[in-house]
Amino acid sequence: MIKLLKCEYLKTRRRYIFLTLLAVTAMALVWTLNGRVTEDTRRLGWMIYLYQLPVLDSVIMPLMAMLAASRLWDIEHRGGMLRRLVPVSGRNELYDAKVIYGLSMLIPCLVIDWAGVIVFGFVNGFQGDFPLRLYLTRLLCALLPTVTIFLLQNALSMAFRNQAVPFAVGITGTFVGMFSMFLPRLPWLRRLTVWGGYGALSFVGMYGYTAETRWRDVFFTVDEPDPFAAIFLTLAALAAYSMGKRLFKLKEV
Amino acid sequence: MNIVKTHGLTKRYGEADVVSGLDMEVAEGRVYGFIGPNGAGKSTTLKMLLGLARPTAGEIELFGKPFNSRTRAEILKDIGSLIEAPSCYGHLTGEENLEILRVMLDLPRKNIDEALSIVRLENQRRKKVSAYSLGMKQRLGLAGALLSFPKLLILDEPTNGLDPAGIQEMRELIRSLPEKYAMTVIVSSHLLSEVDRLADDVGIISDGRMKYQGPLDKLHGHDESRSLEEIFLELTGGRRSL
Repeated sequence: MIKLLKCEYLKTRRRYIFLTLLAVTAMALVWTLNGRVTEDTRRLGWMIYLYQLPVLDSVIMPLMAMLAASRLWDIEHRGGMLRRLVPVSGRNELYDAKVIYGLSMLIPCLVIDWAGVIVFGFVNGFQGDFPLRLYLTRLLCALLPTVTIFLLQNALSMAFRNQAVPFAVGITGTFVGMFSMFLPRLPWLRRLTVWGGYGALSFVGMYGYTAETRWRDVFFTVDEPDPFAAIFLTLAALAAYSMGKRLFKLKEV
Repeated sequence: MNIVKTHGLTKRYGEADVVSGLDMEVAEGRVYGFIGPNGAGKSTTLKMLLGLARPTAGEIELFGKPFNSRTRAEILKDIGSLIEAPSCYGHLTGEENLEILRVMLDLPRKNIDEALSIVRLENQRRKKVSAYSLGMKQRLGLAGALLSFPKLLILDEPTNGLDPAGIQEMRELIRSLPEKYAMTVIVSSHLLSEVDRLADDVGIISDGRMKYQGPLDKLHGHDESRSLEEIFLELTGGRRSL
């Protein structure tokens, strides 16, 4: 597997996939952390970001997952190299190498995004104890839908030579995921779509924000992440992985 | 000893048999010319030999071992291939393309130099493949197939895209492989004159069925004046390959 991962690295030279993902992460961080830090936001900072991060993740992470999967498979489709690689390496191993390599680029971006907020909080003197347990839970709750979406996009990008198909699915899914957070009357949209996972697993509620009082009377509630959504996403991840691998095994190259 | 042996090899797509009950035998150390009209099933047969397409029925034996999911990895280590259009990553240099195969096959670095030298691409090794001509890509594909100096080399239309000088060069190279590197070579081509000049044995396939298989000189028989094209047209019922 190490050999195959090295090959994945060699293949992506001059494609700047990781650099592109880092650039998107940096933009996302700037977008998240942009804004004046006031006395109120300093007081509530840790909780404000726990509340806001799922919204940002639901937009950025599916796009990054789609981008990573698409770029990784596009080089194989364009070069017709699967005809050369499949005979010298097992299909299962080739597919796994793509999955691991893709996730090895995606997960650090997610962690950088997450850590960036924490660093920002400490630098700006957010008040109160740093809620480490909540932030770790938040990281896991972002990781699960991200991995699931990547596995789905990976299978689609492998199956379709024309990358417009996985792109269309990815963009549509991203919109569904984002809007599902603003449609509380349609909880199934969050709980039964992989892109809605960011919202379904969000566990911080915010109340008391008005245009006049702004942050003054705001308070937060902390629940447990929805176990149904977590189970659904885990099963969806397993299904996407197995389906992709099966399709790759049957694919004539 | 037969390096390749198939029995009743069949590939069906929907209702159509692309390859039908093919019995193929390729002897060790020979150059086997595999010819047939377009759509006769040549590439599909070669893909099945490489595990790129799954046979609908029949058996494949390579190096005297049955070719199945258990033996596949071990057998394919000894096979080099160039199937259809040359496969390469356009954004990488010729050398970087070979480096990927070298790492995958766990070969020494000197194999890259040797393979590039055989196909005469040493001076173009650091050029991006997207800037290569079709002929250069074809030669790079061959270098990739030769990289491990395999026991069996499978080449599907290796002269595609080559100019006349390149075709002659390729022909001489293929002819020299059995003696120089103890390789057995299967070459599919639609250029009958090419196969006539380089093969020891031929297999003629039409409509997915083997029409003739055996030594080339036996095919010509005693009548040297008959060209391979004439014999080919007779065997395939007049279907032209060109």
